[in-house]
Amino acid sequence: MSNISTEVLLAIDSVQNSYIHSLDTKNMDAWLATFNNEGSYICIAAENEANNLPIALMLDDCYARLQDRVTYVTKVWAGTFEDYQTRHFTQRISTEEIGKDTYRVITNYHILYTPEQGQTNVLVTGHYDDEIVLGDTPLFKSKKAVMDTNVSPRYIVYPV
Amino acid sequence: MNAPESTYTQVAWPAKVNEIPKDIFDREDVYQLELEKIFYGPEWHAVAHAGEIPNPGDFKTINVGERPILVVRGDDGEIRTFYNACSHRGNLLETRVTGNAAEFECPYHRWLFDTRGALRGAPGDEDFSPSFCKEEMGVPTIRSTEYLGLIFVTCSDKTPDIETYLGRTKDALAITLNGDGRLKLLGYQKVLYDVNWKAYADNDGYHAPLLHAAFKLLNWQGGEGEQYGTENGHIGFESELKVPEDTGFLNDPSLLHFKGTESSKGSAIASIFPVTVITKHMDMINIRFAFPRGVGSTEVHYGYFAHVDDDEEMVRHRIRQSSNMLGPTGLVSMEDASIFSRIHRGNHTPGNVAFQKGVKHEDRIWYDFKQNDEAGNLPRWEHYRKSMGFNREEA
Repeated sequence: MSNISTEVLLAIDSVQNSYIHSLDTKNMDAWLATFNNEGSYICIAAENEANNLPIALMLDDCYARLQDRVTYVTKVWAGTFEDYQTRHFTQRISTEEIGKDTYRVITNYHILYTPEQGQTNVLVTGHYDDEIVLGDTPLFKSKKAVMDTNVSPRYIVYPV
Repeated sequence: MNAPESTYTQVAWPAKVNEIPKDIFDREDVYQLELEKIFYGPEWHAVAHAGEIPNPGDFKTINVGERPILVVRGDDGEIRTFYNACSHRGNLLETRVTGNAAEFECPYHRWLFDTRGALRGAPGDEDFSPSFCKEEMGVPTIRSTEYLGLIFVTCSDKTPDIETYLGRTKDALAITLNGDGRLKLLGYQKVLYDVNWKAYADNDGYHAPLLHAAFKLLNWQGGEGEQYGTENGHIGFESELKVPEDTGFLNDPSLLHFKGTESSKGSAIASIFPVTVITKHMDMINIRFAFPRGVGSTEVHYGYFAHVDDDEEMVRHRIRQSSNMLGPTGLVSMEDASIFSRIHRGNHTPGNVAFQKGVKHEDRIWYDFKQNDEAGNLPRWEHYRKSMGFNREEA
């Protein structure tokens, strides 16, 4: 049985909820604000992860790359794609303290998408493997979205 | 009795060579004929690169058209290609996408095959038919060849040798595969586009500076180059590699650095009919294996590679660049993916599409183009039309 306090778990859940809310509201600045200044984000297919193949769908391995991810979505791609609404559903699976105020958290996710025509389908499913640092505001030090969906059903604009 | 082919595959093909009928993108009867005439006809299809299966026992499964294929590096180091079906009752032999195997066992009746495809054992064979011959019951093979490590297969014995088949696109292909094709797999991005395979393969040179805003925002000008077609539907692009100057637009411009040494023809695309595309942009080596999933869907596997002689820094750079620039989430290619879906739905309207950019003639096909001409796709369409047996209307 976990000896991690309810207070810590609530803090962990709060940053996860901020993350998925930022994406479901297409607020990329709010998405960036869930990372600390050492933050990194990787979205990778489970097939690659299992076979030690490093190619990712998104590989933001430093904070500057996270900032550039915001630029991709809000400036480079603006007006070129058919927009879609996502709904993220998550379930925290395990939490492990790995350092002072730092936790490794595994969370299942399931993301539905609804394009402009209105038919809802599954976008991807998988798990997050995160390092979260608690402080005044809990933040991601690293976030890895591993996708069971090795063949995604469409192009992906927003982070997973 | 089946209806004669001509009664169910009639297509009104326009007289002008730059016009394409839209109904070929959504007709089930046309798609079925494409499987027969093109995917199972006299064409080579890239199914793997040797760098994906470097070790004995490594295998990969993929489709040619709708036929499942198994590519295996045997215990003797030789790469062989098979139809992915048990030689007994046709059960799919291997369900995994990639892996390493010492043998392949069909679970249905426990027939066992080695990595060279030979049948090693079949339970109860003392009661088999009089003509059963174990030596003749290996996994069914499909004709194959290798060029710069690329493994091609064909369902036809009429397909010419690979060098004749590739023709001039051998030049572009050599650039994309880093000269010698000695590659190491870095991983995949895989996606299912809701687009007919022909529209996916019809991506052109005209759109690049217009659709992809990144080129403008980064002040990234394309280098001088050329585009050419072949009579059998391949397209080659070869151009000077131009590296964008740091305009401050990106916080991490290192993503756009070029660490290679050759830039006079540093960018190339080999688009091999019907649906394989191999590209080399900046330091990204990318093979796009693709196959139709029915008339309105195309599955694309973007395979990314390093060169076997790369040092650790170069490999790391290729990983960062490849993971962020190309594919269904890439900085300069996500927009292509969004266009695939839109063009497929738009192609359900009646009439013809008409190519314009770079069209010098409307009554004959030619083979040399400027790199931003969309007319470069016309030799491919002519090969498609002839392969399918569609006659042009009178002018």
